Amino acid sequence: MAETAKLSPVEGIKARSNFLRGTLLESLADSATGTLAEDDTQLSKFHGFYQQDDRDVRDERRRQMLEPDHQFMIRARVPGGICTPKQWLAMDAIAAKHANGTIRLTTRQAFQLHGVIKRGLKPTIRAIYDSLLDTIAACGDVNRNVMSSVLPEQSALHQQIFQHAAAVSRHLLPNTRAYHEIWLDGEKLTAEETANQHEPIYGPTYLPRKFKISFAVPPRNDVDLFAHDLSFIAIIENGELQGYNVAVGGGMGVTHGDPKTYPRLATVVGFCLPEQLLQVTETIVKIQRDFGDRTDRKHARLKYTLDDQGEDWFHEQLVHRMGYSLSLAREYEFTHTGDRLGWQQTDNGLWHLGLFIENGRVQDLPDRKQLTGLRAIAEILKGEFRLTPNQNLLIANVAEEDRAAIDQIVVSHGLDSWNRLSPMREHALACVGFPTCGLAMAESERYLPELVGKIEQLLTRHDLLQQAITIRMTGCPNGCARPYLSEIGLVGKGPGLYNLHLGAAFNGTRLNSLFRESVQEAEILQVLDQLFADYAAGRNEDEYFGDFLYRQGLLSNSSHSTTPFNEQIPA
Amino acid sequence: MFKALRTDNSPFNPQQIEMLQSSLVNLDVAQSAWLSGYIAGRLSTDSAVNLPLPAAAVESIPQQKFHVVYASQTGTGEVIAGELAAQLQQAGWAVELQSMSSIRPAQLKKLQHVALVVSTHGEGDPPDDALDWFDYLQSPRAPKLESLNFTVLALGDRSYEKYCEAGRRLEQLLLATGAKAYSTRIECDLDYAGNAQQWSTEVLSYAREQQPQDAAAKRGTAQHLSVVPSAEQWSRVKPFKATLERVQKITALESEKDVYHLELSLADSGIAYQPGDSLGVWANNHHDTVTQILAGLSIAADAEIEIDGHIHTAHELLVRHREITRLSADTITAYATAVGQGALQQHFEALAGSERRDFIEARQFIDLVEEFPPQEGAAIALETLAGLLRPLAPRSYSIASSRAAVDDEVHLTVATLFSDAIGTERKGVASNFLNYHLQAGDEVGVFLEPNKRFRLPENRQTPVILVAAGTGIAPYRAFLQQLEEEAADTPVWLIFGNPHLRSDFLYQREWLEWRGKGLLQHIDCAFSRDQAEKVYVQHIIREQGERLNQWLQDGAQIYLCGGLAMGKEVELAVQDVLLEQRGLDADGAAEELAELRRQGRILKDLY
Ligand code: SRM
Ligand SMILES: Cc1cc2nc3c(=O)[nH]c(=O)nc-3n(C[C@H](O)[C@H](O)[C@H](O)COP(=O)(O)OP(=O)(O)OC[C@H]3O[C@@H](n4cnc5c(N)ncnc54)[C@H](O)[C@@H]3O)c2cc1C
Ligand SMILES: Cc1cc2nc3c(=O)[nH]c(=O)nc-3n(C[C@H](O)[C@H](O)[C@H](O)COP(=O)(O)O)c2cc1C
Ligand code: SF4
Repeated sequence: MAETAKLSPVEGIKARSNFLRGTLLESLADSATGTLAEDDTQLSKFHGFYQQDDRDVRDERRRQMLEPDHQFMIRARVPGGICTPKQWLAMDAIAAKHANGTIRLTTRQAFQLHGVIKRGLKPTIRAIYDSLLDTIAACGDVNRNVMSSVLPEQSALHQQIFQHAAAVSRHLLPNTRAYHEIWLDGEKLTAEETANQHEPIYGPTYLPRKFKISFAVPPRNDVDLFAHDLSFIAIIENGELQGYNVAVGGGMGVTHGDPKTYPRLATVVGFCLPEQLLQVTETIVKIQRDFGDRTDRKHARLKYTLDDQGEDWFHEQLVHRMGYSLSLAREYEFTHTGDRLGWQQTDNGLWHLGLFIENGRVQDLPDRKQLTGLRAIAEILKGEFRLTPNQNLLIANVAEEDRAAIDQIVVSHGLDSWNRLSPMREHALACVGFPTCGLAMAESERYLPELVGKIEQLLTRHDLLQQAITIRMTGCPNGCARPYLSEIGLVGKGPGLYNLHLGAAFNGTRLNSLFRESVQEAEILQVLDQLFADYAAGRNEDEYFGDFLYRQGLLSNSSHSTTPFNEQIPA
Repeated sequence: MFKALRTDNSPFNPQQIEMLQSSLVNLDVAQSAWLSGYIAGRLSTDSAVNLPLPAAAVESIPQQKFHVVYASQTGTGEVIAGELAAQLQQAGWAVELQSMSSIRPAQLKKLQHVALVVSTHGEGDPPDDALDWFDYLQSPRAPKLESLNFTVLALGDRSYEKYCEAGRRLEQLLLATGAKAYSTRIECDLDYAGNAQQWSTEVLSYAREQQPQDAAAKRGTAQHLSVVPSAEQWSRVKPFKATLERVQKITALESEKDVYHLELSLADSGIAYQPGDSLGVWANNHHDTVTQILAGLSIAADAEIEIDGHIHTAHELLVRHREITRLSADTITAYATAVGQGALQQHFEALAGSERRDFIEARQFIDLVEEFPPQEGAAIALETLAGLLRPLAPRSYSIASSRAAVDDEVHLTVATLFSDAIGTERKGVASNFLNYHLQAGDEVGVFLEPNKRFRLPENRQTPVILVAAGTGIAPYRAFLQQLEEEAADTPVWLIFGNPHLRSDFLYQREWLEWRGKGLLQHIDCAFSRDQAEKVYVQHIIREQGERLNQWLQDGAQIYLCGGLAMGKEVELAVQDVLLEQRGLDADGAAEELAELRRQGRILKDLY
């Protein structure tokens, strides 16, 4: 910690905010603007929403002397992605009434609504709360939505691990009553209560930065466990959960041209028993609370704290705070990332249907009546929905006799595309990007499907269309679709311009490397065409594309690398 | 011997009267004469403020004066009155040029030779400045005014149902008091110049018949001259050709409003407008509509007609010189006769008052031609057509800029007027011309319409409450530009209404910036369609009653700009606030409001 350096401005906002209240009420009442006061736009995140504007019309509105078309993105936390049919119907209704009529499934198994205007915030947040989901701590410098593998293969274990994830999620919720006061018309605190407010885990200025937790179950790495601040790898022996390997310090976010930022794979630091889970979690959160860099938000994630202080230091902190150390990490092996689509049966005899939702955007399109279809399914579903870590949707716990009815809806609404997709498209992920994301530099969600179509033609030419290759695109280097963990990663740099990263491991255990900087579509296709040709000619049996490139030494540095990676253009 | 001063025949309060009475009774003739000279001298050295002479003083200096009195809302009447006053003065008269509001009704008895100019506003209502006169003249207190000689020039617009209503009623009311009209009322439509000239001529000839009071004229005080406007180089009949520099839509694409911001160059015109003034604009009718009308009436586009020594083609006449968007009852009946449309005639005549107005407002001339085409054999001559359509009048737009900020530019905020009342979409002539047909670089004829009754307070410490709906916000942009340039610290409160925040907050970025800089204390908006129940500016007035009352107690002036209906509602809301906040009853609140109006603290620019 650099105690002498100046705290980042957001720290001041948090400190002044009176436990996240700020002037949100005044901002909501200001009838002259669709925005919040500047400080409140930081605080709003802790309440689960971001101020954005429709960037497609920003310039036009400037000329019209109108402020940008301000609107809000609201994120609802869905721990482990589990959502009842009733909750689905509630989100569906809220999206139609208050948002832009689409529901966005995120890469962290949560819901996002876009296009909510200021007046709509309160009713939306209230309605989400009434549906027994909520938005508190969906964003902000706190623990975010806790991810958990959707695991349809072993449903008894899934329940158990999900319960752990949910417990961690509850344990780390902020304590402030601001949320209830502002959004749910909860009673205002008395003077005495105000004086005695308290955040037992976070303290009054919360964490230095966002904090992300996931639960993974080998051999399946659908949560991309190495991308999070803290991950738990379930260790299962003889069908029983033994405990968890603990991995810390993963993260994706990078800033173009800033060599002190880099993506980092989490380091596995030990093993803990299920009953130690909450203590281990709380302790790690508190270490980051106390030592994370509060002077520079680009350098504030746990990954930097860990690299700056060293792994030994980290273990000392754990022992010091818990009174015991973690045991040695157990063996584990991951074989793949991504979701499994289509019907699968679990050991309890129930069926689960993985549906492909392109980029997680649930909307009615001419060929895919996704909203309507899923509404119809929600109305008859006796099981539950599970939002996957890869923007897809699982219809879970369907009895044999109910499958036909669901199949009928799925087919008639064009939701059955999974059996027509190329493996590449099935695995493709794109972040939101334009027009809502304020940080986007290039198109993402609106562009990737088209680009994949062009890449599919190349794959066909090299007879590789049935080969699973992960491809992920983000509109900027923040990495919301975890692009540094995909075999082909495209990271937005400017309109129509992307950095091309190649060579991550298919199972998510190796980062990719920067291969070409600031390239346009034509060059991307040209490069891939050549590499596909090499791959088709020179691959080993069952060798993944990323592994092939890595073996060829075509890539510079690619590992748990903590070295500046922006500079890694191969000579 | 003079009458005793009382509170109802003088502007003094009881204490002042007591003091004055006790001093005056002891004066001898010489002392009185000296004092009267002293006071007159003091008045003449005062500023150009138009002080009403105290009743007692008028009586104590028996001289014949000619009073030119106007009640004007948008300034037309004031200009006409000013010109007449100048002519009378040249003819050797001592002239008082005054607004009706500055002559208290009780003083009417003292007037002898009067020329009255009064326009009609609202729906047949007198202008604000005439309200006190009307109240007084139709009350049981109405005096006998046998020594009053007057004539009325009534200004109006034939497209309104109650044409020149205020002028007509004023004449009736005065006649009922026993006053004598030395010539009958003359009414003016929007092309008032000819009729106004004729009326002035009649006034002057009446004046000549009276004993010209040379001596009195010499004693005429300086203030009279100062209110006569210097002849403007550019005028309604001689408009300046301004160049359009920029036209920019300022409502968002999805808005149902279609409002544009226009920047025109007044370079080298010498037009020195002030915030609060309006700009008169001459527009052309749409060529396609004219073509359709002429085709519908089987008149050749190039048929020629001579009017006032000028030859026009039929097409050009309709494009540049005739109203084809705003109908009037006269136009409709004349058209029905000319084309043998007995059905139209009957239908129209059978309509009751408000239906008749709806019929007129829902249609343009092209609709008549299409709906009620000429009957078999009833060919209409171009001359007939030229006679039944009114001359095209210019349109007014509140100026949305301050010269202090934009130099020789002038900015306007123009909403395209659409109507599809009867199924076909029609547009207003001027708004459509400005927003859609004029291109950057094109010229348009404009002239200044000063509005002295809608200015920032002289004292920049006086707080101002700016209430607007829609394009009514335009003059406030001029106000804020001016205040910003002056670095004035006038407390300003903007209350604005329109359908949607997202698309319709005109000049939003500028208001937010001004608020950020501290030039604006408060912005309160009513976006009527942003929630289930409609909310309008008057709701804000009521909601913010406490603040409003506080501001008024601090001397604030309230400005109202935008639609007439809004103006009415806001005044009612202010009255409600006074009632509630000051614990008054209904009459008390109405009186307070009237008092604010009398003090000139409710300023209006309504249309
Ligand atoms: C919706 C989502 C992408 C998606 O397509 O699904 C998303 C969307 C946004 N992310 Fe993210 N992030 C999302 C998962 C991620 C992930 C992946 C993950 O968590 O597994 C990452 C990389 C992992 C990590 O955190 O390192 C990620 C790293 C970021 C960063 C970079 C953080 C950093 O440490 O550098 C930012 C920018 C920031 O925080 O300053 C960011 C910021 C944003 C914001 C809120 C932009 C902003 O700050 O103004 C984006 C909103 C766009 C919009 O219009 O909706 N998002 N973001 C994901 C929502 C997850 C959730 O439900 O909570
Ligand atoms: C002092 C003043 C300031 C103004 N300031 C502004 C301003 O800042 N911005 C602005 O946009 N406007 C302003 N206006 C209004 C403006 O002058 C025009 O009236 C407006 O733009 C419509 O004119 P137009 O020529 O486009 O429509 P017109 O051609 O005059 O419209 C005629 C149409 O209106 C309908 N109509 C409605 N009422 C009547 C009626 N009584 N008689 C006949 N037809 C009727 C008919 O359908 C007809 O087709 C102001 C008016 C005044 C008096
Ligand atoms: C909002 C508004 C309402 C009007 N209502 C009437 C009316 O009811 N009857 C009428 O004859 N003229 C009406 N007029 C026309 C005016 O009397 C006419 O424009 C006149 O020339 C204005 O004179 P002034 O500028 O002295 O007020 C109206 C004008 C406006 C702007
Ligand atoms: S990666 Fe960048 S562009 Fe994409 S959603 Fe995240 S912050 Fe926005």
